Amino acid sequence: MLYFLLGMNAVGEGIGGSEWGKKEVLERTAKEYFSSAREEFAKERYNSSVVLFFKALVALVDLYVLQNTGETPSSHNSRFKITKEKFSDVYDILDKDFPFYQDSYHVLMTKELAEVIREDAEKLAQKTGIKL
Amino acid sequence: MQKNLHKKLELNYSSSVLDIVQFGSSIFEGSEPNDIDVAVIFKSIPLKQQLEESQNLKKQLEGQFRLPIHIKSYDFYSFFDKGNFARENILFYGKSLVYERHFAEIFGLIPRLQIYYSLKNFKKSEKIKFNYLLNGKGGKYGLLRKYGGVLVRPGMIEIKPEYEKIFSKKIGALISDFRIKRVLLNK
Repeated sequence: MLYFLLGMNAVGEGIGGSEWGKKEVLERTAKEYFSSAREEFAKERYNSSVVLFFKALVALVDLYVLQNTGETPSSHNSRFKITKEKFSDVYDILDKDFPFYQDSYHVLMTKELAEVIREDAEKLAQKTGIKL
Repeated sequence: MQKNLHKKLELNYSSSVLDIVQFGSSIFEGSEPNDIDVAVIFKSIPLKQQLEESQNLKKQLEGQFRLPIHIKSYDFYSFFDKGNFARENILFYGKSLVYERHFAEIFGLIPRLQIYYSLKNFKKSEKIKFNYLLNGKGGKYGLLRKYGGVLVRPGMIEIKPEYEKIFSKKIGALISDFRIKRVLLNK
């Protein structure tokens, strides 16, 4: 019985630790992407900058979802599905910016677009209480 | 087949929007598209405003179509940029969802497809069959009347771009050697 309880406890801590870990990882990746995006922006490499600002945005969206539901999306599809159902303002940002991420392989991105996506990432940072 | 695609729609948008243009595979009559591509053409306003307005239009369009909407935002500068790979497609095939006309007409141009073919070496019966295809038989409309095409001269017809697939398929079933030229005519 004691062994069983200890086992449960160990599993419980494992879950709690995992959730905390996810938050840390998402916050760290968001900051890293955002910082790299700014560096690329300063070098006038706007395609890279757009991609990285968008990745920072996605990490922050996942963090926002985690903060509010306790779960993280496992793919772009589930990210869109969850935000569309539960956080329409976040979905709108994601849905608006995602096509540029998709196009970034074959379309030249502009400074103005990088600025727009940076602003959106900052908006999400504010919602999640993260200082980028 | 998706019906009533490029029809005039009731949409709310600001005066910054010059046109809302459907383009891509959904434009073709007889096609079975998986989604609907829409380009929103703006006056020169900040990109941020363009994207927000497009997002709003996307929601309205999603309420009117069964298929997913893919929306792109342009002003004339970004539209004509060489990096816009959809430029020719939108200009030639695009249809305005606001004005129920081809997008090219905004520039005083009418897009048309000219189909060149030859019936040389065809048997008489094959020539008759082809004539029925274009002009109909026994009160049944042929392709030209049905889709508003014209016989410019023997061996050349002119049709609207959205009927390209229908004409290609039907003509291709009888003639292997034909060619299609895209032209923009003066209005």
